[in-house]
Amino acid sequence: MAKSDTFNCTVITPEAAVLDCDATSVAFPAHDGEMGILNHRAPLICRMGIGTLRIEGPDGPHRFFVDGGFAQVVENRLTLLTEQAKTIDELDGEKAAEALVEAKAMKITDDTSYTARDRALQRAQVQLKLVKRG
Amino acid sequence: MANRRVLVKRRKAVRNIRKITRTMQLIATARFQAALTRATASKPYTEKLAQLVGDLSEVAGDVDHPLLSTPEDTSKSAMIVITSDRGLCGGYNGNVLRSTLAHLDQQNEAGVETAVHMVGKKGNSYFRFLDRPIAEPILHLSDTPRFEEIEPIANAMIERFTKGEIASLHVGYMKFHSVGRQRPEVVQLLPMVREEAEGDESHSAGARPDYEFSPPPAELLDELLPATVRIRLFQCFIEANVSEHIGRMVAMKAATDAAGDMISTLTRQYNRARQTQITMELLDIVGGANALA
Repeated sequence: MAKSDTFNCTVITPEAAVLDCDATSVAFPAHDGEMGILNHRAPLICRMGIGTLRIEGPDGPHRFFVDGGFAQVVENRLTLLTEQAKTIDELDGEKAAEALVEAKAMKITDDTSYTARDRALQRAQVQLKLVKRG
Repeated sequence: MANRRVLVKRRKAVRNIRKITRTMQLIATARFQAALTRATASKPYTEKLAQLVGDLSEVAGDVDHPLLSTPEDTSKSAMIVITSDRGLCGGYNGNVLRSTLAHLDQQNEAGVETAVHMVGKKGNSYFRFLDRPIAEPILHLSDTPRFEEIEPIANAMIERFTKGEIASLHVGYMKFHSVGRQRPEVVQLLPMVREEAEGDESHSAGARPDYEFSPPPAELLDELLPATVRIRLFQCFIEANVSEHIGRMVAMKAATDAAGDMISTLTRQYNRARQTQITMELLDIVGGANALA
């Protein structure tokens, strides 16, 4: 166990536990940029941003689109709590394109509307990028 | 003669009803299973989130978060009531609405004006019947509540609370304890009540890991607390959904059984009526024959 280079990784959404597997490395979008996790990382609680979650492990790579949430590392276990985790197949390119147009049309009046537009833009852009890459 | 035909007709009608109620019972059972699976699937998220909040608030100390404190203006509050769209589920809606009305009266006495956000057709039509005001009917939800649908409702409420438009938010719903026990309950979502007893104690028995935080704990809590409110509301919806299906299952089982009892009573009556008629006819014939002889 001590020699193994994998750690347990779970992705949990309000509706279900999406993934529970061993991983050798995980890269998730933190609130301030991408963060990579390898095994035996020091305990961490981190806020996630919008972006792609990449998990590399013995049973192949996994990719998810995640929208906010929290990551916790403790005792060589990584738990990702997110309100939305979608695999690439679940993403809808047309919808994302529509959302992008909508987001661009959003009016900015104050700080909150600025962040709302920013988030919507980012959400749509990341989804579109993921769909295109396939 | 007429009596017999009436009995046959009634028995046929009851049989048809029994067929329908039995089918509904089966459907409710299947739906209940699905709903229960969903409810259990949402548990890990809730538990993990509660654990994170526990870990964080220990590090951050006594935090003064807007979602934890009561606003100064306490004259207005809001309440979300979860009822079903369809009937034939026994006392499900009645019980929820009764506890809701009790809560509303209590709020009224305290001089708090409560805006009712009513989920489900049944609750809406009941309040219309009572001539009670509904602030906002919520009718567009699908049969199985999904997080994406509940999230906007929760976000709107959180926003109104932080702006000070409402001093508290309650949810009236049928809490699911077990398959045999559901209770109507009114719980307070905002301001948040700390649930430190839940799972947190067991965790603190061991040493708490020395976490690295990004961003700092206070900022993390800023995001965590609203997320907790959202998931709690979602849980209410899910549990209400499970309870509804149980309610329907039980009601339809009772209806099916009652229909069965009724059929056997009617059959007995029918047989007796038939027997009586035969006896009468025989008597007639014998009487006629005797008169001729």
